[in-house]
Amino acid sequence: MKLNRRRFLGTTALALAAGVRILPARAATLKVAIVMPGNITDKSWSQAGYEGIERIKNELGVDTAYSEKVAQPDQAEAMADYARRGYNIVIGHGGEFQEAANHVAADFPETTFIVHNGTEVSANVATLDFAYRQFGYALGTIAGRMSKSGKAGFIGAQKIKFSTDLVESYTNAFQKATNGGEVLVAWTNDWDDIAKGKEAALNQLSQGADIVFPTMDNAAIGSLQALKEKSAWGFGLYYDAIADWPDTVLQSAIMDIKAAMFDVIKLATENKLEVKNYKFGIDKPDPAAGRLGTFHSAVPAEVVAEVEALVASMQDGSFQP
Amino acid sequence: MIDILTDPTQLADFLATSLRLSVPIIFAALGGVLSERSGVFNIGLEGMLLAGCFGAAVGAYFFGTPFAGVAVGMFFGLLGALILAYLSITLGVSQIVSGIAINMLMLGLTAFLSRIVFEGQANTMTLSGFKPIAIPLLSQIPVLGPVFFNQDLLVYVMYAMVAGGLWLMYRTRWGLNVRAVGENPRAVDTAGISVVGLRYACVLTSGAIAGLGGCYLVLSQIFLFSEHMSAGKGFIALAAVILGRWNPLGALLACLLFGVFDALQLRLQFANPEVPYQAFVILPYAVSILALVGLVGKPTPPAAVGIPYKREAK
Repeated sequence: MKLNRRRFLGTTALALAAGVRILPARAATLKVAIVMPGNITDKSWSQAGYEGIERIKNELGVDTAYSEKVAQPDQAEAMADYARRGYNIVIGHGGEFQEAANHVAADFPETTFIVHNGTEVSANVATLDFAYRQFGYALGTIAGRMSKSGKAGFIGAQKIKFSTDLVESYTNAFQKATNGGEVLVAWTNDWDDIAKGKEAALNQLSQGADIVFPTMDNAAIGSLQALKEKSAWGFGLYYDAIADWPDTVLQSAIMDIKAAMFDVIKLATENKLEVKNYKFGIDKPDPAAGRLGTFHSAVPAEVVAEVEALVASMQDGSFQP
Repeated sequence: MIDILTDPTQLADFLATSLRLSVPIIFAALGGVLSERSGVFNIGLEGMLLAGCFGAAVGAYFFGTPFAGVAVGMFFGLLGALILAYLSITLGVSQIVSGIAINMLMLGLTAFLSRIVFEGQANTMTLSGFKPIAIPLLSQIPVLGPVFFNQDLLVYVMYAMVAGGLWLMYRTRWGLNVRAVGENPRAVDTAGISVVGLRYACVLTSGAIAGLGGCYLVLSQIFLFSEHMSAGKGFIALAAVILGRWNPLGALLACLLFGVFDALQLRLQFANPEVPYQAFVILPYAVSILALVGLVGKPTPPAAVGIPYKREAK
């Protein structure tokens, strides 16, 4: 009995000592989970989220987890589950997670939630998005300088903040550069229908547009193909599209969510994460996340210089589109 | 907007867009007519269309000629139909459920296989495709000539199929058998004709024709394969089958109606930017529903459609 008690005390002390040593080590390992709307092989938004979280795991040594194909009714439960299991940061991958995040965040004040393309910042809900207007304005300026007909096209799938911001700034810049030119806008209501993307672009060309900016993920390929066939100009999105469309793409708006989320979680590992809106513009704060691509050789040097000056004025804050 | 009424080039452009938007749906609807006339609902048209797209890309990619694309595309559509035929005719599983299963299967399977076969190049390649062939004299007709008779091979195949389908369905013994098996399979069975054989033939052909719609998308329009590129065209074809009253010509006209309004809504958007775009996007669907209610009256589908045939059943 005595021995037992002594042994008991000893082991307890050991366990406590071990616990004390283990606890801070545990706290230092950040746990990050991401909840995504689509599957991780969609070659687009959710795949980018998955690749982003994998990079965070491998390069930052963070514990990560992910859920794919989370439907709207399950969003709150999926996020709450990660918070309950002790994940410090739970990411909702897409603006549609905003309401679920707001709802869950109130119950888990210790957890930080990040909503990609989110619109509302609260006590423990941060957001991450891109300064779409900067990209739209830069491309609109190029379109205005390169258009011979004074008409440009814009094709979107659905009216969400991403596309309305882009179309507004693109139109403003185009009209300013051409002194009142016209931008034809078409909405296809489908992110996948390539054939319709192509017809929409052909339609705009037949109405006199000579430069078109397609923004519907998968379906944009159809539009670019129409532009290529008719030797008209277009713009790329998300990556430097001139590599695939050397005769068609004048410039690309590169918005890389993988690099952006990496930057934000890196801040968290350095204990510098603030609950606020992280906005990635052209070259600022990180050119890896948001930048313009390669100019087509047909763009004259003075236009390149004008766009570079424009970007510089956006960065020093003297101009915000 | 008014320019399509006053300017012949704009009108020709507009009609050409309408036709291009209709052609894949027409093929799928022709397949649907054949299958439903024989007594089998083909909800899987969307999946067979998509399988046809993938097959067309595979054929053209590996053999370098669009004709190989057509062969493989039709074969893949046929394989999709084989699943439907086996499940619904041989096993007597619900035709609706089997059709939906095929749509989901094809969506996943084509995406998966295209990543393996094209190694991520699917979205950027340019496959060899069909070029427009002008038909002498006919293509000289003002406005309509270049729209309907300066098209590529698959469009002419489509014309021939509508005409051939009408002849086959209403002027041949085989067509009579097909119509009979959709109305009263027991009568056909009593006459010593195989119900199962006829239905298999119709469903398999239906899949191959729907696959041809996919071939048109890939080999005449886009020249590449992209995941889910059928984008619901197979479902519109289902509506066109009903609107066209299970008649090949009717289905053709229904699809053209849809195509015209789809092309129109793209133009209306430019002319009226202040109206929410959704109002225009629904236009082709709204017109289809109105036409369904107003023009066709009460549609009467083939009497035995949807019912699996069992010889011993009372």
